[in-house]
Amino acid sequence: MTGRATFRHLFAAATFIALGVYWTQAGYFGHEILAEIAVFAILAMSLDLIAGYAGLVSLGHAALFGTGAYLFAFFSVVLGWPVGLSMVAATAATGMIALVVGSVVTRVHGIFFIMITLAIGEMGHEFFFKNRTLGGDDGFAGIERLDLTWIGLDLNTPATFSMTLIVVALVIYLALNRLIASPFGAVLHGLHDNTTRMRALGLPVRRYQTSAFALSGTIAAFAGTLTAQHTMFISPKLLHWTLSGEVLVMVILGGLGTLAGPVVGAATLVFLRHELSDMTQYWGFWLGLFLVLIVMGGRNGIIGWAEWAWRKLPGGNRGAPADENTQGEEKGAADAAR
Amino acid sequence: MLSDGGFWIVQILNSLQLAMLLFLLSVGLTVIFGLMNFVNLAHGSLYAAGALIGYSVSMWTGSVWWAYLLAPVAVMALGWALYGLVIDRMRKAGPMNQVLVTFGLIFVLMDVQRYIWGTDQVGVQNAPFSGSIEILGQIYPEYRLFIIAVGLGVFALLYLSLEYTRLGAEVRAGVDDAETASCLGVNVERTFLIVFLIGCALAGLAGAVALPAFSAEAGMGIAILIPTLVVVVVGGLGSLTGALAGSLLIATTLTFGQVFLPKFAGILMYALLVVILLVRPQGLFPARS
Repeated sequence: MTGRATFRHLFAAATFIALGVYWTQAGYFGHEILAEIAVFAILAMSLDLIAGYAGLVSLGHAALFGTGAYLFAFFSVVLGWPVGLSMVAATAATGMIALVVGSVVTRVHGIFFIMITLAIGEMGHEFFFKNRTLGGDDGFAGIERLDLTWIGLDLNTPATFSMTLIVVALVIYLALNRLIASPFGAVLHGLHDNTTRMRALGLPVRRYQTSAFALSGTIAAFAGTLTAQHTMFISPKLLHWTLSGEVLVMVILGGLGTLAGPVVGAATLVFLRHELSDMTQYWGFWLGLFLVLIVMGGRNGIIGWAEWAWRKLPGGNRGAPADENTQGEEKGAADAAR
Repeated sequence: MLSDGGFWIVQILNSLQLAMLLFLLSVGLTVIFGLMNFVNLAHGSLYAAGALIGYSVSMWTGSVWWAYLLAPVAVMALGWALYGLVIDRMRKAGPMNQVLVTFGLIFVLMDVQRYIWGTDQVGVQNAPFSGSIEILGQIYPEYRLFIIAVGLGVFALLYLSLEYTRLGAEVRAGVDDAETASCLGVNVERTFLIVFLIGCALAGLAGAVALPAFSAEAGMGIAILIPTLVVVVVGGLGSLTGALAGSLLIATTLTFGQVFLPKFAGILMYALLVVILLVRPQGLFPARS
């Protein structure tokens, strides 16, 4: 366990350091990319918490992200509340919504779970798409960023803003790692591997699933308040199921159930999208192909391939991640059996 | 408006017409779902391919009739390629990996379509039944009646083959209990492939038939995918009757929702799905009892 955990921590550390190095070199556009990476890293980690650890694959995750962004805009712009209070209120309110939704959706399993989260997410999309108070399908502008000048941070400077978001993403990464190492995290692992056995052990399975869903939704909503401040403009696209799909792609691309993976996946995908969309207008083709190959490759995303490569490197028996890999494959088999 | 018989007839015909398109799409999806528990999100992209290929065929030959014939064949060939390259290998990979791979295929197919046909809407002029008829004082396009007729015809054909042919019996056996059917000498793999290809052809037919009425564009598959999935789940996996009933229910909800509650038409459909999943998760007419 320690071997694999250390390997993943190192991987995450390398990614955050790479982002930091890029930050020192980045111009205006680079800082925009970095801020986007940080937001999506947080969102992808929150999805990994339920999809990778609890085995609940949601295709409605973007709806919670978007609801957070919209409620934040509603509180701060329409009601005129202070930005900080709006962030807290929007995150908490969406967390409550996620709790209610979670208590409903955890009643169904497998492909039906995917469908019900998709349906509830699309209801949210439809609601904001038709809601004229918040701009409907035109979107909603005029959002302000948090004022942190009292501690010397001017978030309206692109460099300061992007670094703040990267630090926030790092803090969330560390916090979620602590959570995963806790007894609660152990229960989530157990739910993923064998729900029936966990129930037989006397655990209130649905209560744990619902809590995980609510926590994950709260973090997604927080990411939503950040993206609203980043672009200062929001549109119903933030809630659309295809965005949920893209975030799921980030999680899978990096490595499901690793927390470091989603960060790597988000960084890779956002960066590639900006680089490739300059070179080709058919960015979706490459993204799709990449996804198909990664999933069919049978290893757990970039992290999975890295662990495999580390094991295969000549010279010395690096057994540590090796025994973990078989465990990962068993997990894959358990997924398949579901 | 509400006491006007013509208004009701037009709305009912509109619902029926949408229902028939949804039926053509969902029937392939639902049987694959029921037979092999395979989730194919790229099914909508096959519909778009059918419409776009139909457009090219009718441009070359000058007749939409050739499109009705060749688009399903071409989409079936595309389906075969997808089956050999991707789907066959993902059969035992679990719903999540299937969702992801076919989600990736959506992007690939959409960009291939954009590359070949561009991003603009394309339409055909010389469609058959381009006239209109008058129903209780309302003008109604004949072509939409043609769509309804095609849908009902396909349903009848599928119903008869499912009930009275050997392949139909094998499909029913496979949906009911694949392992036992396999033990009894049914080649479930082969049945699955045939059913999958028929499903692809029907998606292509739906696209070609929809082309004169709605025109075509790359990406039209994504918009139709969700209602189709909703039909499959509401109707019950693997069930022909379920696909028809689900299509009628969802099409009616969407059409009348659009008329009476334009703000909530989409929400109504999703709400219906959520209620069905919670109250009757096996769907209205499940194939497996």
